[in-house]
Amino acid sequence: MRKIATLLLSAGLVAVSTQAVSGPKEDLEKFRTYFEQKFPGLQLDEFGNGVYALDANKRIQWEAMEEFPPYEEFVDKGREIWEKPFKNGKSFADCFGKDPSKVRVKYPRWDAERQQVVTLELAINDCRKKNGEKPFKWKKGPIAWLSAYLGYEARGQKINVVIPEDDPKALEAYEKGKHFYYAKRGQLNMACADCHIKYPGHFVRGQLLSPALGQVTHFPVFRAKWEKKSKNGDGLGTLHRRYGGCNKQVRARPFPAQSEQYRNLEFFHQYMSNGLAINAPGYRE
Amino acid sequence: MMKKSIVSIGLALLIAGCNATTPEKPMSLKEQYEAALARTQAAVKKAASVDGEWRDVRWKKSKKRYLPKAIEAAKAGDYEKALKLLKIAEFQAEMGYKQAMAEKDAGPHLYGL
Repeated sequence: MRKIATLLLSAGLVAVSTQAVSGPKEDLEKFRTYFEQKFPGLQLDEFGNGVYALDANKRIQWEAMEEFPPYEEFVDKGREIWEKPFKNGKSFADCFGKDPSKVRVKYPRWDAERQQVVTLELAINDCRKKNGEKPFKWKKGPIAWLSAYLGYEARGQKINVVIPEDDPKALEAYEKGKHFYYAKRGQLNMACADCHIKYPGHFVRGQLLSPALGQVTHFPVFRAKWEKKSKNGDGLGTLHRRYGGCNKQVRARPFPAQSEQYRNLEFFHQYMSNGLAINAPGYRE
Repeated sequence: MMKKSIVSIGLALLIAGCNATTPEKPMSLKEQYEAALARTQAAVKKAASVDGEWRDVRWKKSKKRYLPKAIEAAKAGDYEKALKLLKIAEFQAEMGYKQAMAEKDAGPHLYGL
């Protein structure tokens, strides 16, 4: 009896300590392996195509849509915003560097000085404020156009989020984001992980669920649903707009875009897709 | 000495008995509403403190917005409707808090990762 108790106790301690020491690198490894086993034969970069990597019929429709993509005119608007100087004569290039194709891949990043996660959209508005301009609204419109342009310019480059493991605050932000992804919330008692880790490839009503791996590569995203709601056919929205929509769907109160909760979530979420090619903006239903 | 004690105990029981049987004045609907509102607001604050609020309690874009609608109903004098809405809001706020507490250790280990 005593032996059994000792054995069980040791097993418990091992399990607890395994969870405690599991850092970003181990998380990423397990995450990748899980999806490779769940969808055997699917190439890594295919995960960036979301549900279109899983359903052949949907893929045909999507490829037809991508021939004349509805987001093109908004990407052009983003380019105009990038090129237009501020009232003080400076421009976004003064904040981000001259080459727009090198911007997207730097975000989200941990800012050791501010002790917080800085997303691309946060950096865009920081730049505007620094130059005496009014910040953009967070979820759609000009901020999504500019972010889409920067994503478009960065197509093909690999996501490369760095979690500085020697900075406990950075690790804490990562852990908080991870916890957010796995914690059930709202009246429907569902976690992000329920749909996108447990049930990707399954249907929720008429919607096929995408895998968590590769979910961020095509953001900002152009959604047909948002296009219908918009007066000018603008279906572009940021990742945080989508987070809010997901939380709302499970009947949890959404957090504001660029809140600490969503920035930490993005830190974890993007890190999990490290090594996948950026293919933003993407078209989705 | 023994007699005195028995008398004292008897008196105490009598007083307690009288108190217990004195009918309390029933709370008016307005008083019930005020008490329920205070309880609900405290529950909502508690849920918010752990990021556990649910969508329909008070979020401005929710169609239901139980708490603000209860306050509106009370302002219009409809305390019965206000109490009904507060009951849902309080329940949802309490559940949101309990859920957040229950999910404190959520992580990939629960999903086989």
